[in-house]
Amino acid sequence: MSAAGVLILMTLLFLGFGYMGVPVSFALIAGVLVATAFTPISMQSMVGQLFHGIDSETLLAVPFFLLVGELMASSDVATRMIRLSQTLVGHLRGGLAQVVTLFSMFFAGISGSSTADVAVLSRTIARDMDKEGYDRAFTAALIASASTMANLIPPSIMAVVYGATGNVSIGGLFLAGVVPGVLIGIGLMIYSYFWGPVGVLKKRAPLTEVIVAARGSALPLVIPVIIMGGILSGWFTPTEAGMMAAMYILVVLIPALNRGHVRELPRDFMYAGLLYSLPLAAVAGASAFGWMVAYLRGPDIVAGYITGFAGTNGAMIMFLLVCVFIIVGDFIDAVPAIIIFMPIINKLTEVGNLKPLHMGVVIITTLVFGLITPPYGLSLLVASKYVGVGFGKAVIRSLPLYVVFLLTIAFVVLFPDVVLWLPKQFLPESVGCFKAPGGSGFICPP
Amino acid sequence: MADYRALILQRHRQLKWKAFDWVEAVLMILCGVCISMFTLAVFLDVVTRTLGAPWLWLQQVTTAFFAWGVFVGMAAATRRNDHFYLTEITKRMTGAPRQTIEIVNRLIVLVVAVLLIWCGTQNALLDLGSYRMPSLIPLTVYTAIVPIAGVLIFLFTLEQLICGWQNGFEGPEDRDDTREAVL
Repeated sequence: MSAAGVLILMTLLFLGFGYMGVPVSFALIAGVLVATAFTPISMQSMVGQLFHGIDSETLLAVPFFLLVGELMASSDVATRMIRLSQTLVGHLRGGLAQVVTLFSMFFAGISGSSTADVAVLSRTIARDMDKEGYDRAFTAALIASASTMANLIPPSIMAVVYGATGNVSIGGLFLAGVVPGVLIGIGLMIYSYFWGPVGVLKKRAPLTEVIVAARGSALPLVIPVIIMGGILSGWFTPTEAGMMAAMYILVVLIPALNRGHVRELPRDFMYAGLLYSLPLAAVAGASAFGWMVAYLRGPDIVAGYITGFAGTNGAMIMFLLVCVFIIVGDFIDAVPAIIIFMPIINKLTEVGNLKPLHMGVVIITTLVFGLITPPYGLSLLVASKYVGVGFGKAVIRSLPLYVVFLLTIAFVVLFPDVVLWLPKQFLPESVGCFKAPGGSGFICPP
Repeated sequence: MADYRALILQRHRQLKWKAFDWVEAVLMILCGVCISMFTLAVFLDVVTRTLGAPWLWLQQVTTAFFAWGVFVGMAAATRRNDHFYLTEITKRMTGAPRQTIEIVNRLIVLVVAVLLIWCGTQNALLDLGSYRMPSLIPLTVYTAIVPIAGVLIFLFTLEQLICGWQNGFEGPEDRDDTREAVL
């Protein structure tokens, strides 16, 4: 069988098994192992590749950012940030919807997990939204859409996986994710204000109440400073920054704000331990899949198709990749998608002479959109389950919110200078700048 | 933990034997141990480095716990049906079609588990002659978890296959209009 034939067979088997209901990690492994039978590669080395796929120190950051999210969600410390959000935007039209979005922006700066964000909001505000007459489908759609910011605003697990597999600066990806993350937040707030349900209109909170709520949230809001401050100052790697944030929650936050939760910590660790294995099991399968894609010269084949349309025009290549990833994100989880397609992304970045960091943030923003699109919109699936509404109804209520995501993707593609401004200021090397020979400042390529 | 049964997920209870409950509990505890240990290891790594006396072997301990945690969690998630799925279409099916697809799905996982056991054992034996520098930990210490996870996945999948055959694969959790408890 030709290489292209094996590639197609492997992909069809993965999708076929996956949509039959085989878990993603096993569907990936099964697809790869069948494909291996058509190549001279031994099964033994492919099984070895599963282990090598996760044998990476950079990927260690994933469990820490999940642990931070879980600890914040289960210890109820996050509810203090909900109170702060309520005092800041609760008086606007669609007050609780505004609170959901603003809280998600705060929470995204602490946790890399959109699922933890969905869990916190479903347990708290979703019930209040029920009482205020918001329909459950809108609640699920908004919570899911807002939770996607956790994958853009640093720390982001997608950025860690992208950086680790694509050899792109994780700190740079963190900073580049700020603009699209905030744009999605602002977009959702604008939508809720003008077109969302009205909810119950409330009076603006007095300044004293805002100050009290801000004081209550001060300790949790130190976490983004620890993470980004540690990384940007060069004190910590992203993995170490995640660990320090987890330690801060364990040693400072929980004893200070919810001492009773200390007894629950063993349970939190057990669930966080289970939780991190789920994406990483998919990473193991996806890395074997990605390895096989590279072995079968998949990047050359796909790059051939894309350059057939776009030539070496960087903008056109990026546009076609966005289209491809909008479709991919509908069917596959973001983490395996990044790993499977990384050889192809790298090849096209080179062909189109694009900045790897720009390409990274475009791909991540596009895949984030996939978290709320059917048939496999993970955040929307989880939110509809927790809120107690059918997935189909939640999808229909999400449709207008898709505009926010599509506009954000377009912005990220069209205005790289704006998106890359933060990394250029704080981590110039991440955008290809290098130190000036004289020793002062950086020289950056156009 | 006063009662290990608190660690057992009751969802899809009809697919589980009580006799294996303790294995799920042990795996959950191991998940907690692995993440705790590599958190501690990374913390000590930062502390010793800051003090100017880094313990280089800590990084290898960290990656060992990390890798073990992934595969232990993979096995635990198989029993708990907690893995990521691409679709929930199967859950909406009933009767014979549902039974057939659920059985085929588990047979696919069984084949993968057998390959993990067989090839994973070969790899682990081969790795006895390789060592991680500078700690000189044999690579087998890391890779042995692959066949172990394979055995556990095989057992749990077989359990589900037999229980599903006897009791049916459908559970009350498959309805999507109920509010699922948030952990």
